[in-house]
Amino acid sequence: MNAPLKKIPTDTPLLEIDSVSKAFGGVQALSDISFSLMPKTITGLIGPNGAGKTTLFNLISGIFAPDSGDIRYNSRSTRKIKSFQLVKQGIARTFQNVELFETMTVLENILVGHHAQTRSGMWGSMIRFPWVLAEEQRAREIAMTLLDFVGLSDHAHAISGDLPFGWQRLVEIARALASRPRLLLLDEPAAGLNIVETLQLGDLIRKIRDQGITVLLVEHDMSLTMEISDWIVVLDQGKKISQGTPRAVQADEAVIAAYLGTGKKDES
Amino acid sequence: MIINSQNTRNRIAYAVFLLVIVVSGYFLENLYYLQLLTFIGINTLLALALNMLMGYAGQISLGHAAFYGIGAYGTAILTVHCHFSPWLALPAAIAVAMAVAYIVGIPTLKLSGYYLGMGTLGFGMIIHILFREWSSITGGASGFIGIPPLELGPVSFASGRNYFFLVWGCVLISFIACQRIIDSRIGRALRAIHDGENAAAAVGVNTRALKLQVFVLSAAISALAGFLYAHLVFFISPGTFSFIASIRMVTMVVIGGMASVWGALLGASLLTLLPEWLHAFSEFEMVVYGLILMLVMIFLPRGLFRGLLDIYERTLKKNTH
Amino acid sequence: MQEILQYLFSGITNGAIYAVIAIGFSMLYNSTELINFAHGEFVMLGALCMVTFFGALHLPLVVALVASIVCIAATGLVFERLAIRPVRHPEPIVLIIITVGASIFLRGIGMIIWGKDAHTIPSFSAHPPLDIAGAKLLSQSIWIIIILLATIIGLQLFYKKTLTGKAMEANAISKRAAWIVGIPSKMMIMLAFGLSTAIGGLAGVIIAPVTMSSYDMGTMLGLKGFCAAMLGGLGSLWGALLGGFLLGILEALGVGFVSSGLKDATAFLLLLFILYVKPGGIISAASAKRF
Repeated sequence: MNAPLKKIPTDTPLLEIDSVSKAFGGVQALSDISFSLMPKTITGLIGPNGAGKTTLFNLISGIFAPDSGDIRYNSRSTRKIKSFQLVKQGIARTFQNVELFETMTVLENILVGHHAQTRSGMWGSMIRFPWVLAEEQRAREIAMTLLDFVGLSDHAHAISGDLPFGWQRLVEIARALASRPRLLLLDEPAAGLNIVETLQLGDLIRKIRDQGITVLLVEHDMSLTMEISDWIVVLDQGKKISQGTPRAVQADEAVIAAYLGTGKKDES
Repeated sequence: MIINSQNTRNRIAYAVFLLVIVVSGYFLENLYYLQLLTFIGINTLLALALNMLMGYAGQISLGHAAFYGIGAYGTAILTVHCHFSPWLALPAAIAVAMAVAYIVGIPTLKLSGYYLGMGTLGFGMIIHILFREWSSITGGASGFIGIPPLELGPVSFASGRNYFFLVWGCVLISFIACQRIIDSRIGRALRAIHDGENAAAAVGVNTRALKLQVFVLSAAISALAGFLYAHLVFFISPGTFSFIASIRMVTMVVIGGMASVWGALLGASLLTLLPEWLHAFSEFEMVVYGLILMLVMIFLPRGLFRGLLDIYERTLKKNTH
Repeated sequence: MQEILQYLFSGITNGAIYAVIAIGFSMLYNSTELINFAHGEFVMLGALCMVTFFGALHLPLVVALVASIVCIAATGLVFERLAIRPVRHPEPIVLIIITVGASIFLRGIGMIIWGKDAHTIPSFSAHPPLDIAGAKLLSQSIWIIIILLATIIGLQLFYKKTLTGKAMEANAISKRAAWIVGIPSKMMIMLAFGLSTAIGGLAGVIIAPVTMSSYDMGTMLGLKGFCAAMLGGLGSLWGALLGGFLLGILEALGVGFVSSGLKDATAFLLLLFILYVKPGGIISAASAKRF
């Protein structure tokens, strides 16, 4: 967390989505999407179901490659980079349906999140060189700091699958932060949370941004997204229909027609 | 801290383990039992090897006897045909097994579930057929005779007692090495792959490389077991490394309990002793063996170790209510 | 030329047998997503039943055939009821071990009933071998192919024409949807087991005259049938057929022109090849029509 982040000029985008298209079979999930994320901001990605938000997420985190167009992270194309390598370069993500390692403890989950930042191998672990032990010690300290940060340090040794759902979300966010990301992708972090938990989540996301991490947020909860985002991008049926500050987007006719106007009952 | 108490518990467990080995090694007079225990040690190595792959990383192998066989035939061929010292043949045989695991692992470990099972099965069968048919080198179906006994300077391992210590020494070292891997970042990542391969990749684990590494490690330990087996019995034949042998290894892991080094010990002990006990059933031996396998899997699918523990805890709960 | 033809004939005969075994594997996998490692043992039991009914008791062919298959299907049903249904967490690894346990168990039963010796029985009919361009085609080979074709036609009719068959197909495609429209899923699984093991038994019945039948013949046959099913595409009827013949013919040619030691290796080399190149098989079940 408190590691010195490499200095990036704040006026060039951290991530650029450049006319990206992606189809599955005959379905055009995304067509010609372009926008960019400025460093140390929270960008909200919204849109009705089937708008292509999760697809875009999977493209950014390297699970699929775009059919055409390019995604540049730190001005370099991510096309040839595998998802586990992207983590090492600073892109971390959470999942819509929380995918923790359920049989492992909370602390162990966070430690796996820190995997890409450590390097001791099989031989090192077998022989236990001093630097391996030191690295492990450091990793545990970092993990505990993160658990403190999300408020779960008392449950470090609980089996993660046994935790209540809201806490599992927090563990997942802490696990993503453990890779020391510069860009954090949150896929519907408020889904399944109650109102109090959602409010706390909003604070947490702000705190994450204040530490210098850029956040891309896909969310159905409108009030949360509008409240915490610095910038909003609206997708509908695979196309970008609007972007701007929350206030500007809320006033946009196209958005109201496509999304807000249809009754806002889209939460599932 | 829980971690410390866990460490202490592990230390105590290993100390007790060491003590049991030393005491039984020195005081057991009956050579038959000593040899039986030596076989248990070899099988424990096999179960441990497969447990690293199956129990921790969640990757099934139905052809692991191939690596056991490569260790055994490797040392047999090198010591008899090429007149190597066994101590030179050991690293060579292990290196061959590791190289084979690496090459085979690259395409095979891309598969999952039943398909992975089938891929490893096919590989195991091919190696077995190679042992059986390449008779100019391996002695073919009738087997390979004349494997020399082990000696280290003045110490001869021809005696049952010394061999017992050699095998169990290897078991102890392998246990500690594997336990350390399990407790390290590598072990955590392996278990993460077991729980969710996609999620593991998404948080930065190079799943493909790691699966390959543990496959190679597992092959190395199996080959060590093969080496120890060959120099214990001086005679090997393809039947020992057949499909049935691979299945027996899987059974040891599953019956003992996955993802536990002690489960490997339990499973190996049971499956080594079971045929000894079943001799009493003479021609019903196979029937009873098959029946036991099915019953354990139906009623205690998490293995005997965990299964009995679960039952114990459940009765405890009932009594307190 | 004559030599090639002879190898081809033996390849087609073996291929037809592998195809029958593969069909059993595939249709069970299709209905239950389970691979029955004891399938080869049902083939063995089929052959040994035939040894008793046809060879020792001299029952008429049809009676012996039906009696053998009924025995095997009954064993299969009991196996499903006692060993598969009680499993609470049907993960692949658990099911693999249970079916392997069953295969050892059945092998033991086979040994107790029929002993350790190998048995032979006469061909289904006493016709002399056909002479085609100098190569000999055994009458039993023709029987085998006829029975294979009859099995396929029978299965097709069962799946397409009968209500039970359609229900089974529906259950294979989506258990939940089938359950919603009132198809008893347990019943379907049981039926699938009965049918699959009956087909396994049938494979045993038809090879009894061309091979030495003994309690330990099942493992290799089962594994090869499995390779054939994977080769063609697990879960597909035509895949099983294609895989069976391909395996049989390549094996025969391998034995003829390379080395007889290679016979058993062919199946597994093909298995690895297909898994590495196209894991779904030549006709992958996803794109091909199912049963």
